[in-house]
Amino acid sequence: MHKMKKLLIMCGTGIATSTVVKGKVEEWLKENNLNQEVKIYQSKVSDEINRIDEYDVVLSTTLVPDKIKDKVINGVPLLTGIGIESMYEKVLAEIKR
Amino acid sequence: MKIDEELVAIDLEVNSKEEVLSILGNQLQEKGFVKEGFIESVLKREQSYPTGLPTEPFGVAIPHTDGDMVHVSKIAFASLKNPVKFFAMGSSDVTIEVKVVFMLALKNPADQLEMLQKLVGLFQEPEMVAKLARTKDINDLNKLFKAEE
Repeated sequence: MHKMKKLLIMCGTGIATSTVVKGKVEEWLKENNLNQEVKIYQSKVSDEINRIDEYDVVLSTTLVPDKIKDKVINGVPLLTGIGIESMYEKVLAEIKR
Repeated sequence: MKIDEELVAIDLEVNSKEEVLSILGNQLQEKGFVKEGFIESVLKREQSYPTGLPTEPFGVAIPHTDGDMVHVSKIAFASLKNPVKFFAMGSSDVTIEVKVVFMLALKNPADQLEMLQKLVGLFQEPEMVAKLARTKDINDLNKLFKAEE
């Protein structure tokens, strides 16, 4: 059994936008037959700053501190509908890496 | 999916996001849906984690805070006569002209998930955002949600 990729979805509270984004990403994983390859985690930014390297892919709907900025993909497109495709391209690249 | 009538403010005249957040927060607090300090908590969180969304033709904001400030999960709505500035979600310098505000009082992540998903569905359609901005009353508003079902 191969190791599943860890995908973290985070927002400021871990309660509102990350929940919506999680639902959408789950659908997308299924549509692309990736749901057996990726495990989703949901949290808030402040809880994850110090263990961000445990994840393979990180999506955030909020601004993150500079030190983890390079690791994080902006998930706001999933809330506005603007820029979804290029966002998923980045996510896919990280999953396949 | 429904929003309570007493949690709706149509064509609200405000000059700042602080004003609209206080008005909606007060409605939630008066009904006992949120704890004392909810408004301050939302205002503070809005500074670190802004909630303006760059939707078309107007911006939408979804202010909220931690679940421990909430007694009963509810969503409050305001349409604004004139837009006010919110910072964009995920940004510290981009401002959004917001005409529609949904204040989310959520206790747990799963609460009102269906409703949140519907809201986000509406936000992605400019025609729906325009309709949200010009709703005339609670029935009008709840009809929009129904149309999405």
